[in-house]
Amino acid sequence: MKEDTDILKTIGRRDGMTVPDGYFADFAARMASQLPERPELAAMAVASAPRTFWGRVRPYVYMAAMFAGVWCMLKMFTTVVGSHELAPIDKNPVMTEALCNEDFMNAYVYDEVSDRDIMDQLMEDGVDAESFGFDIEE
Amino acid sequence: MAEIIQDSPELVERLRDPATVREAFGDVISRYSEPLYRQIRRMVQSHEDANDLLQNTFMKAWGSIEHFRGEARLSTWLYKIAVNETLSHLERERKRRGFSLDDQEAALINSIEADTDIDGDALALKLRKAIATLPEKQRLVFNMRYYDDMRYDDISAVLGTSVGALKASYHLAVKKIEQFFSDDD
Repeated sequence: MKEDTDILKTIGRRDGMTVPDGYFADFAARMASQLPERPELAAMAVASAPRTFWGRVRPYVYMAAMFAGVWCMLKMFTTVVGSHELAPIDKNPVMTEALCNEDFMNAYVYDEVSDRDIMDQLMEDGVDAESFGFDIEE
Repeated sequence: MAEIIQDSPELVERLRDPATVREAFGDVISRYSEPLYRQIRRMVQSHEDANDLLQNTFMKAWGSIEHFRGEARLSTWLYKIAVNETLSHLERERKRRGFSLDDQEAALINSIEADTDIDGDALALKLRKAIATLPEKQRLVFNMRYYDDMRYDDISAVLGTSVGALKASYHLAVKKIEQFFSDDD
């Protein structure tokens, strides 16, 4: 786009405005001396001094710790909720050990089961109950 | 013609250092007072008003120097402050004197005619009168583009207007000035 017309070219870029002699030099000196003190600039510089390595990484460490905390809470929640489903005996060493422990069985399991129940179960399974010393006549 | 001054990286660095900021700001005043003065004076016409507004511009810049972080150009930042100061002054004057925009235009032309700080160039004086008839924003665009030879990108950064709109505004301003001259012949 042709920007300047013949008139503007004729006039040139003079604005015709003048200023008193030495105005700009005087202005700069006067203005510089009138500037108020700003001691807070130095204080702000201290506040915005270069941060240490820990200062830079601290927000990220805190964020990672927060996520780890949330993960632990979720893990604990799922563990508690899922504890109702017991693993099969052959994959549950605690249960296997308990069932092999004669004292445990006598104290906690056999007391709850009568000899008759055991005999009924053995007979259903086709096992000779007498071979275990049970008195069938009883 | 005073082309917009390129920022000095060393000066910008000194402005950001509290130990050197005051001295560096003195250099800013020396460096930018003339282009800013001319920009302001072309808008308000009177030397006294331009002098006051230039002082206010530097006072404001000094008062918020901590906000200048070097992302924007120093010249753009200073021009922005100067333009805001100037437009606020013109609005204050309109309110104080109960002027409409047309009244203010007439007052500006009167003040150009009464201006004693001129170099006697009749055509340049007539151009100033023609520019005084333009709307404020268009006047700013014309002054920055024509007298300061600023790039549209720089004007856009100062005024916050798109480059396309600035080009259209300048083109329109030139047409109006041509019309002013042809009407006056």
